[in-house]
Amino acid sequence: MSPDQRTRPRRGRPVGRPIPKGRQVDPAALAEVRALLGDLPRRRDLLIECLHRIQDAHGHLSARHLTALAAELRLAMAEVYEVATFYEHFDVVKEGDEAPPSVTVRVCESISCALAGSEALRAQLAARLGPGVRVLPASCIGRCDHAPAVKVGHAPVHAATVERVEEAVAGGRTTPEPAPYVGYTEYRAAGGYELLRSCVAGARTAEEVAATVLASGLRGLGGAGFPSGRKWEFVRREPKPRVVVLNADEGEPGTFKDRFLLESDPHRVLEGLLLAAWVVEAEDVFLYVRDEYARARQVLAECVAALEAAPPCPLPRLHLRRGAGAYICGEETALIESVEGKRGEPRLRPPYPAQVGVFGRPTLVHNVETVYWLREILERGAEAFAGAGVRGHKGKRLFSVSGRVARPGVYAAPAGVTARELIEEYAGGMAPGHRFYGYLPGGASGGILPAELGDLPLDFDALAPYGCFIGSAAIVVLSDRDRARDAALNLMRFFAHESCGKCTPCRVGTAKAVELLEAAEWDVPLLEELSRTMMDASICGLGQAAPNPVRSVLRYFPQELAR
Amino acid sequence: MSGVRFRVDGMDVEARPGETILQAAERAGVRIPHLCYMEGMRADGNCRACVVEIQGERVLAPSCCRVPVEGMEVSATGERARASQRMVLELLLSDMPEGSYRADSELLLWATELGVGAPRFSRRPAPAPDLSHPAMAVHLDACIQCTRCVRACREVQVNDVIGYAGRGAGARIVFDLEDPMGTSTCVACGECVQSCPTGALLPRSPWEAGVVDELDMLSPLDRSW
Repeated sequence: MSPDQRTRPRRGRPVGRPIPKGRQVDPAALAEVRALLGDLPRRRDLLIECLHRIQDAHGHLSARHLTALAAELRLAMAEVYEVATFYEHFDVVKEGDEAPPSVTVRVCESISCALAGSEALRAQLAARLGPGVRVLPASCIGRCDHAPAVKVGHAPVHAATVERVEEAVAGGRTTPEPAPYVGYTEYRAAGGYELLRSCVAGARTAEEVAATVLASGLRGLGGAGFPSGRKWEFVRREPKPRVVVLNADEGEPGTFKDRFLLESDPHRVLEGLLLAAWVVEAEDVFLYVRDEYARARQVLAECVAALEAAPPCPLPRLHLRRGAGAYICGEETALIESVEGKRGEPRLRPPYPAQVGVFGRPTLVHNVETVYWLREILERGAEAFAGAGVRGHKGKRLFSVSGRVARPGVYAAPAGVTARELIEEYAGGMAPGHRFYGYLPGGASGGILPAELGDLPLDFDALAPYGCFIGSAAIVVLSDRDRARDAALNLMRFFAHESCGKCTPCRVGTAKAVELLEAAEWDVPLLEELSRTMMDASICGLGQAAPNPVRSVLRYFPQELAR
Repeated sequence: MSGVRFRVDGMDVEARPGETILQAAERAGVRIPHLCYMEGMRADGNCRACVVEIQGERVLAPSCCRVPVEGMEVSATGERARASQRMVLELLLSDMPEGSYRADSELLLWATELGVGAPRFSRRPAPAPDLSHPAMAVHLDACIQCTRCVRACREVQVNDVIGYAGRGAGARIVFDLEDPMGTSTCVACGECVQSCPTGALLPRSPWEAGVVDELDMLSPLDRSW
């Protein structure tokens, strides 16, 4: 019985509305949405993928399409809207709003690009590029070695100038250029996937492999530094079915090592990931790649297809997921939410992902670089890897070096290396005309250290006494032309922009901190009080680490605050 | 089934099975401020007003979401926990409009109880009121983003009209696709108004200025009452 047929008892006359209250589905919009979704399963966890399809086809998300999509997925409109408005790369356009121009130019304004003058560049671009192009600021796009970096659509422009960007816009290319990488055939010809195949065939037990990894000292290289072998033990203790997730949402300003690995040697990453999945006996493996890494995503899609076409051994189900512009999704519980098609809001712990992760299943989340090292560790032994460190530190890792150095780039260096060594022996010294002044040892989150502390060994835990941490090993070098307080303001603006908005200390705290840092004279006691609450009471690492740069300025660069 | 024995501020407390630190502490007479937590609703742990210090843990924990374990040492009113509880209240208070929509705003009551003075931060830009609904007023300038109304609408009533959109300082309560409440799919159940701690969502009297005129404009079918 439809609502308009309802009659009120006794009086027998129709009641209610002629049409239901609120937005109604436009049949034409529904047909368009259905055509775009094709045979994609109508599942809630694919909501972000659905939104991508509409955004890619129309350049924005109109209210009529969102209403239709909600109906098609059997979701409430509010549930679709709150996800669509969470992610940077979705443009919701309501009735009466103007749709964005067809070309979007995103100018990276995170620390390394800011040092290279991105703010002025954005102003010039906004003035020069005419209508039909919109110029937006962007959080780190992971191309800090080519600062200032810009994206025209999904196509990166390195060492951007107004002329280069104009040329790229005129050229009309909005997808990344294909570049060579170690493909499936080549990788296998060099012995790739032999380790995985032999493990699956029974040459080693999962316990042996886990023990080797534990002995190697390998720790989570996304930044948290949790011993990988221990994480495996925790997940293996939980009941099946289990899930493994590859965290390729590298968004920490100054970090670009994961992009480098995915774009150059992706199968080594995949083999490591599949080894981890074999150890924890996972049936499903999710590969979550940030939207900014269009090329890496393309490469991974090709790799997964090649792998599935000629599997070296039985494989778990592989699912490629595309982010949509949100730094917070690099936080593992926010990433899990995003994999489920939701807003990237971190979950409260406990329970930990090892117990309750993707779809409530025990989940192992690994950073790209962490699994990249697995093959080497298992082929050459735990001692060889552990012994690669210097000054009593274990292992080696990839450092993303950027800022005021002559040759920014990704450098494999021993754990325990110092910033001065990275600058002098790896990155070709300081950029001409610049003198070493200070450095960020761990991207936006790890604090700022002065040049006098440039000889500290860089490794997990080593910087704790200095109020800093190495995190994802993103070393951003500052020179005598920079001020640490300007860097701290840039970083706090980044955190405020990327805060998910769930908890008060981070949502309100980062916004208020930006205002305090913009003042010519800092209110130091209030900043200290606020910092303490952000560190103590925020839900996740974003809010907890956001005050680190400010605290570093107060501790190491007081001369910049003197009146 | 026996409870869990733990300590709050040096006092022995026994939590019933499944009870959180907040619930057990409250029963024992320890007052911990809380805003996003409401009896009868899923705890979300987002406001962080109820954070407490648990011995051996690196950061503070939301007492509304944490279940105690045997022998746990909790400091709920100690210096470290109180400093963050007060700062959270101050941060939220700094964004409130002049004068409260409700004298019994939970935020004001807790701020008064904990002695939080005039906020030292500047106020955020205030969103415009939404008076499109004849029975409810929406004043998001008094919203503290606790999402109690979202849970009331989505999980208690299962109407799913209210959502939490945007992110960071721009995160906000919306109806459907951020439509005026009066033209949204809201069925006027009132659960969100009941759940709001600050008066950002308020009942509206039909005799209030302007409301009756709006009612007159509705179709006769709508006025069948």
